Amino acid sequence: MTQELSPVHLDYMQEQRTRFVSPTFLLQIALAASLLAGPLLVPSFQVMDVMAKIMIFTVVAASYDLILGYTGSLSLAHGMFFGMGAYALGLVCYHSGSPHWYHLILAAGIAIFLGIVFSLLISLFSLRVKAIFFAMVTLAIAEYAHILGIQWSELTLGEDGISFELPWIFHSDWSAGRFLLSEIDDRLMIYYLIFLSSLLLFMGLVRFVRSPLGRVLKSIRSNENRAVALGFKTFQYKTVAVVFGSTLSSIAGVLFAMWLRYVNPDSVLGLGLMVNVLLMVLIGGLGTLYGGIIGVAFIIVSENWLPGALKAAAGIFPPSEIITRLADRWHLYFGVLFILVIIFFPRGVVGTFRQVIARRKAEVLRKRRTEVRY
Amino acid sequence: MSKGVLTLKPKGITADGKGWLVGIAIGFVWLSPLFWMDATTFIVLTAAGLAMGMIFFMVASGLTLIFGLMDVLNMAHGAFFAWGAYVGFSLLGMFEWLGWVETGTFLQCMTTVLVILAVAFLVGALIGAILERIIIRQVYGDHLRQILITMGASFVMVELIKIFWGLNDEVVAVPLAFRGSFDIMDVVVNRFRILAIVLGIIVFGVIQMVLKRTKLGIIVRAGVENREIVETTGYNINRIFTGVFCAGVGLAAMAGVMMAMFKQEVHPAMGDDSFFFALMVVIIGGMGSVGGSFLGSLMLGLAFNYVAFLLPKAALGVNILVMAATLLIRPTGLFGHEE
Amino acid sequence: MNEIILTLKDVHAHIGQHHILQGISLQVKSGGVTVLLGRNGAGKSTTLRAIMGLATVASGRICLGDDAIAGYKPYHIARMGVGFVAEDRAILYKLTVAENFRLSMLMETDATWQRMETIFLLFPDLKRFWNVKAGLLSGGQKQMLAIGRVLVNDHRILLIDEPSKGLAPILVTQLGESLIRIREKTTIVLVEQNFRLARQVGSDCFILDDGRVVHEDRMASLAQDRGRMKKYLGIG
Repeated sequence: MTQELSPVHLDYMQEQRTRFVSPTFLLQIALAASLLAGPLLVPSFQVMDVMAKIMIFTVVAASYDLILGYTGSLSLAHGMFFGMGAYALGLVCYHSGSPHWYHLILAAGIAIFLGIVFSLLISLFSLRVKAIFFAMVTLAIAEYAHILGIQWSELTLGEDGISFELPWIFHSDWSAGRFLLSEIDDRLMIYYLIFLSSLLLFMGLVRFVRSPLGRVLKSIRSNENRAVALGFKTFQYKTVAVVFGSTLSSIAGVLFAMWLRYVNPDSVLGLGLMVNVLLMVLIGGLGTLYGGIIGVAFIIVSENWLPGALKAAAGIFPPSEIITRLADRWHLYFGVLFILVIIFFPRGVVGTFRQVIARRKAEVLRKRRTEVRY
Repeated sequence: MSKGVLTLKPKGITADGKGWLVGIAIGFVWLSPLFWMDATTFIVLTAAGLAMGMIFFMVASGLTLIFGLMDVLNMAHGAFFAWGAYVGFSLLGMFEWLGWVETGTFLQCMTTVLVILAVAFLVGALIGAILERIIIRQVYGDHLRQILITMGASFVMVELIKIFWGLNDEVVAVPLAFRGSFDIMDVVVNRFRILAIVLGIIVFGVIQMVLKRTKLGIIVRAGVENREIVETTGYNINRIFTGVFCAGVGLAAMAGVMMAMFKQEVHPAMGDDSFFFALMVVIIGGMGSVGGSFLGSLMLGLAFNYVAFLLPKAALGVNILVMAATLLIRPTGLFGHEE
Repeated sequence: MNEIILTLKDVHAHIGQHHILQGISLQVKSGGVTVLLGRNGAGKSTTLRAIMGLATVASGRICLGDDAIAGYKPYHIARMGVGFVAEDRAILYKLTVAENFRLSMLMETDATWQRMETIFLLFPDLKRFWNVKAGLLSGGQKQMLAIGRVLVNDHRILLIDEPSKGLAPILVTQLGESLIRIREKTTIVLVEQNFRLARQVGSDCFILDDGRVVHEDRMASLAQDRGRMKKYLGIG
């Protein structure tokens, strides 16, 4: 006896069939390809720098989206994990004089370990209390980490930060000739390490979110009491999500430190980083993972080119102190943008896009159903 | 893990009937630093701690009321603190031009301080009114967006400070009458700290009087407990929200003035530290409880100063530990209510 | 005397995403007690809340006297003469009885204080515990306070939601007697699950089911209608 398939099921099967040729998938391939081939074809260091940072911060933003967008926990300590990972790498490489490749593994291991331990502690403490408390406590802890980074100079060398070398093919002297338009040197190797890692981590996040575990998280986000009533130990699920997301942020921190070969408290532990990550996730869209890519790209590209553009714009006006200052403080415009996005585009770019698509699909389905009836 | 039972008692350990025991324990803890330092140092540190605590109380009281009544975590509170400080700084410059700061009589200095405090309060309240009506109103009810939007507002406000006043740290002059210290029997007590303590007590007194004796206070307290009842009784809760918000951030601005003179300097990021402390105070004292903030600020101020003297690096850590401990024992804070 | 004081016409209302009222139409006569009956989830409380402006009215009209009040804010509706006693938490536990009353007083005139005297006659316990925190009162006293405080202003209509909830039977009877005395002065719309109380005080009634009015009647005649009582209220 064959059962007639529902329109939803039919739709799903159609989606599965075309998923390797759908526009979104092709877009993803194109993106990956351009990131892969970019540095070989475009000799500009600034471009490579921007692309590397985009990849690193995509991991940070997407992992934060997991915590905030999918689980609904407003943790403000995400930047702290990033900083811990960065410092893990920095300190290991710095203290080992001339590091070897296994130091990298060690640093990554430390970063992961710290990520798991601290996120577990934070979860234990605060996931039990109301959302606002969680936000406040994570904020306090993150700020404390920042202050420690500055004041605990025996460990972190204080405000000035640490400069260090990397081992093996990442060492600044390494080179292996030319290929296409660029030199095969340590920078390129780090870049591809970042590319590979970010790709794997991002795909890991996507799989995590699409798994049954991810679906439970979504149900917790939409109505926690109902999830509890259904029998899910929501606390455990939330903890898993927070631990996973935070650890990914630590790893991203390691990659960041590798790229810059320098860490200091303000750049990796400061609250400014957290605000940036929030902005990235919001612009892209909470709960969309891919939105993170767009948000990150927008912010990082703006950070690189906005100051210059503002200065050029300021040049049009007659010189005055106020105009100079207005042009200098491009952070101000980010803040205003932040506010506007929250008020008018709470779902972000990808979120709004998906909403529009979903509405269109619902319309089509409704039309199909009414057609069938007559 | 959380049970949604409707009770009036706060979660965790309570102190019913054991008040005297708690009092003794607190007294013991308070005097314990005497084990490691002599009496004069203790008194000086106590004065410093109380003064610092009072300043933080002014910041925290606004924050806790705003949260208790409106369920808004005002991340921009620190920015109002900074604005108050900078406004104070500029005004001190003007009064200095009058000659009332460096060389003023007691009366002139007192007037200077009072006027500056009042102006800072008004400026804070004005900016707060604009912020509340135009921005925060848009996102009522959504905790996440409120937190985010106030973060954005904070950002913008601090950047505006940098635009109007520049990036550098500025030195703040303290009016003559409040400089230096009293020397009483070998105990050196800073004059400004006394002023801060007195001011803090006055502010606390005024807030408590308004809350407990006036009709407005009844409305606010009622609103903190149950917004809907207040609204269905016939009060425009929105206007009350705006009022409380303005008063709260005005207080933060006043606290900024005090801090500017306390530390004798201002810098654009000064709001961050104060917000951090106020946050801890509110968590410890309980959301929506002014009395809790008062006790919490004093506790943290004193603890910070004692520990800072004995083990400088641990000072901040101790406060975080206290906050963590409070969250474990009493998740809603010492005097907070459950929702 | 028997003019219509409140009209609802085809009201659709939401609480959050849930479409609760699916076209409520009813009329409340001035003076006397109009009771809204029905099973759990029928939409009785939501109807009161919609009148009070606490639920989003998607469509339909609500008229108080000559004014269309759908969409007005609750405080505005309160000031137009509508008193509201919520189902749970109708008083402020942390305030004293005195403060609860003071909060309710929109104007503090002589008339107000005279009404206080009447309230004290009705609920003497409230005078005894005048300075006690409301949270410390017994269940019955809390309910007295909940209803008492709304009598302080001269409202033309009172919306009372399940006042008998959680009260011992003897208190319910006393509550009924109090309501009978209150209805001499003002109109009451009462949501009640306790049929005995409803019968004791009600003059007219509307039965709600699934967000709609399914039957309207005089209270007395419904009490004789066993069939309907069983069908819509599960009684008998």
